[in-house]
Amino acid sequence: MSARQAIQVGTKTVKPVLSVTQGEARLRVLSLYKAWYRQIPYIVKDFDIPKSEEQCRAKLKEMFLRNKDVTDIRVIDILVIKGQMELKESVNVWKQKGHIMAYFKPTEEPKPKDFLSKFFSGVE
Amino acid sequence: MGVIKKTTGLVGLAVSPNPHHTLGSLYGKILRTLQKMPEQSVYRKYTEQIVKERAAVLKQTKDVYEIETKINCGQAEELIVQAENELNLARKMLNWKPWEPLVAKPPKGQWDWPPTKS
Amino acid sequence: MSFFLKRTLGAGRNLSRAILNTNQYPGLQLVASKADQVQPQVETRPTVAKFDPLQKAHLVDFGKYVAECLPKFVQKVQITAGNELEVLVPTDGVIPVLQFLKDHHNAQFASLVDIGGMDVPSRPYRFEIIYNLLSLRYNARIRVKTYTDELTPIDSACEVFKAANWYEREIWDMYGVFFANHPDLRRILTDYGFEGHPFRKDFPLSGYVEVRYDDEQKRVVVEPLELAQEFRRFELSAPWEQFPNFRGNPVSEDVVDKTDDQPKKE
Repeated sequence: MSARQAIQVGTKTVKPVLSVTQGEARLRVLSLYKAWYRQIPYIVKDFDIPKSEEQCRAKLKEMFLRNKDVTDIRVIDILVIKGQMELKESVNVWKQKGHIMAYFKPTEEPKPKDFLSKFFSGVE
Repeated sequence: MGVIKKTTGLVGLAVSPNPHHTLGSLYGKILRTLQKMPEQSVYRKYTEQIVKERAAVLKQTKDVYEIETKINCGQAEELIVQAENELNLARKMLNWKPWEPLVAKPPKGQWDWPPTKS
Repeated sequence: MSFFLKRTLGAGRNLSRAILNTNQYPGLQLVASKADQVQPQVETRPTVAKFDPLQKAHLVDFGKYVAECLPKFVQKVQITAGNELEVLVPTDGVIPVLQFLKDHHNAQFASLVDIGGMDVPSRPYRFEIIYNLLSLRYNARIRVKTYTDELTPIDSACEVFKAANWYEREIWDMYGVFFANHPDLRRILTDYGFEGHPFRKDFPLSGYVEVRYDDEQKRVVVEPLELAQEFRRFELSAPWEQFPNFRGNPVSEDVVDKTDDQPKKE
């Protein structure tokens, strides 16, 4: 691998995690996205979650877009690695239903923002 | 010796049929690998010293028991394992080139303990 | 296990400091070539390990030997707590140094006891990764230390020591240090879906989420934790800072030090 080469981040020369160029990192992200996308039907079936495939795809997109502002190649690589690990955990059904459903946060109540809802929820 | 050695007493380590020959060839291989390193390499110097010492013992006698007592580093089979490891290491060292100057200096304060106040 | 190590490391250091502070051993602070001439006072306290100048002289010799053999990879060799030899290496030097210590005739540290981690956020490379080795042949122990940060990968020691596999997974899980070329790097201690790395100093004691059984959902749910205080200040200085002997009385003494800009002449 090209791990011996050094890459530039800002003004510092550092050791790359996996990718040496921005394009390579982008490819990794895309292939991870596709891998998740293809597995969604099986995940829905295996875990028997009360969500449709469309909802899962929307959630997948949302979770990828959450990190859209990350530009450091090494940070992208680490995120991709963690994503791959999670994919493996899901595909091999090491996770349980609750772990998958944790992505959707069904019990989490939205934080009170305006005055009235704050008043109702008892937050001053 | 007359008595055939049945076991080394160590799990997974079989009795070597001809340890004298195996050791001799391994030491030869190590020395040939070390030849490829530069003269001033300290690793080469020390390893050559050890291996030559052991090879000299090997030359003096053919008796396995005597070799073991003279080298004093375990049974002949263990000596073979050690030599195999050293050969493996020496071959890797050719790639690593450890005789070169220090590859990277630590950042300032990296190894200080207690850590500097920030 | 490394998480014990992290705690006990601190405790051990303080213990040794306590010994040093009593100043009962004038020999402990001196370079070991003189250590065999200086006779330390006889230790009468039953709980304190006996100081052995001969063992220390051996350690100093071996430390110099390692530094001489691998000048490319050894930054510093030091002895901590009187009888613990430490080899400090850069990130690139981990594999060569471990392989050397394992396979060399005079070392034969064939057993990897543990890999530990340490987080000091004030340093440029905040993590220290610590390899503890044991030589059954020579009844000796040695410690190899290296440094890294959240993003710098370390080469996996799995090809040298099979035992490194789970230890490195543990480090990855607890500190988030990535090991390149590890055969099976994944979480080992935390739950699936767990976010964050618990042994980092900036990880809150309560964690980021709480897990409970929900009656309506009929399953375990994960909810973000309301942290009682929004702003947290990290008290990173040691609690022993107030004692006058804490600084300027190092626990470790150098055997070989190549970290200075001007190389020392011997």
